[in-house]
Amino acid sequence: MKLKINIGKRLLTTSVCLAACLFLMQTTAFAQDTTAAAKDAVIPAKAKPVKNTFQSIWIIDNQTVMVPVKGTFEMDIQHRFGTVNNGYSDFWGLYASSNIRIGVDYAPINNLYLGLGFEKYNEIWDGSAKYALIKQTRGISPVSITYYGNLSLDTRKDPTNSLFTHYTDRILSFNEIIIARKFSDKFSVQISPSITHQNAVPGYLTKNDSTGRTIFEEMKHDHFAISVAGRYKLGDATALLIDYDQPLTKEPTNNPNPNLSFGFEFSTSGHTFQLFMGNYSLLNPGKNALFNTNNPFDYTQTGGTKVKGGKFLIGFNITRLWN
Amino acid sequence: MKTKKHIKMKSKLTLATSLIALSIMSFAFTSIVQKTKPWPVPEKNAKTPNPVKADKESLATGKSLWNLHCASCHGKTGLGDGSKAAQLKTQPQDLTTSSLQSQSDGSLFYKISEGRDDMPSFKKKISDPEDLWSVVNYMRTLKKS
Repeated sequence: MKLKINIGKRLLTTSVCLAACLFLMQTTAFAQDTTAAAKDAVIPAKAKPVKNTFQSIWIIDNQTVMVPVKGTFEMDIQHRFGTVNNGYSDFWGLYASSNIRIGVDYAPINNLYLGLGFEKYNEIWDGSAKYALIKQTRGISPVSITYYGNLSLDTRKDPTNSLFTHYTDRILSFNEIIIARKFSDKFSVQISPSITHQNAVPGYLTKNDSTGRTIFEEMKHDHFAISVAGRYKLGDATALLIDYDQPLTKEPTNNPNPNLSFGFEFSTSGHTFQLFMGNYSLLNPGKNALFNTNNPFDYTQTGGTKVKGGKFLIGFNITRLWN
Repeated sequence: MKTKKHIKMKSKLTLATSLIALSIMSFAFTSIVQKTKPWPVPEKNAKTPNPVKADKESLATGKSLWNLHCASCHGKTGLGDGSKAAQLKTQPQDLTTSSLQSQSDGSLFYKISEGRDDMPSFKKKISDPEDLWSVVNYMRTLKKS
């Protein structure tokens, strides 16, 4: 069913405006940094990249710009409960069917982080690589830029090939560039444009006769999206988190919904614990970008049917670092 | 007869209680011995001067890192009374005492960096040495006045 999201254009405009604002602020801040650097010119100390733009490699449903130091080993446990809409009957989703991902990551060299994980829903294995390309440094770069790529494999049993015609149909790739700036000790923001590629999309024949055949593809193979996320530290170990994901590609049908998530982060020397509410129920960035059915806002479908939004769910991320 | 039996039982109980008390005390003394186990620092490290000036910025960095990495065991004010202290095999060092504060910056840096037993190594957790020096600077503010 084709969805007509009335506020889609508005959200897209908002996202683009936010991105533009961030870039403008970055330019301004760069100028300020340069001035500050000139004032401090008497100190011979070499400028160092800013630290801890974010505390964890996760900001709710997205990767942050952070890449831990060489030799770090990490374990991630992520949980997404059911939507809160059923209320008391499933205790606001806490007793509904939940989705789980357990993953591990390792930094073999500086600036590179490799990950492997398994998600309960659709039995998805994912492998990821993250590389810090540029680090925010006074007088050198106003932003940090990190590349993140994730390749996932749907390993559900399909003996009759009813789900996947070819083995490669199980593969989904997600690539993004994360641009972040730490504005102060307390406040950091990042913007992440991404592209998700699916090898196979559902479709059907609209014409199949002697003159040829035409296939209608329900979705495009490449899907663009953008995410904006921010952290505000309340103390040395506690922070507020917010994350918004906006699909950009207009799909022929099955348009995915945006995601709005917000919550708290609690940190210790070796752990971070994030507790939040959001709309993404899946635990793979590509799958979320393509198939999110929970909308934070009310919207109207193509046929004029009004659909209520507010489909939030509770989730948490726990990370354990060994370094 | 009944009274005699009662007295006999009572003396057995006293003996058992004393034995338990003795074993607890022996464990307690063991932990005291562990607590004071010497921690030698190579002379070169002990004599390394602190390159980071204890200014406002350094102390703020040190305090922030202290609260995140150290306070759970050593306590907010460095008394060794953090919330995790009771679970450790060794009692975290009281950092406010003059015996600790008389150690050189280089010695404290070495101990934080390398770690020992329950005390983890922080050279990767706090990967910038300047930040470790800032923690040392902040530790100086914990000294009992």
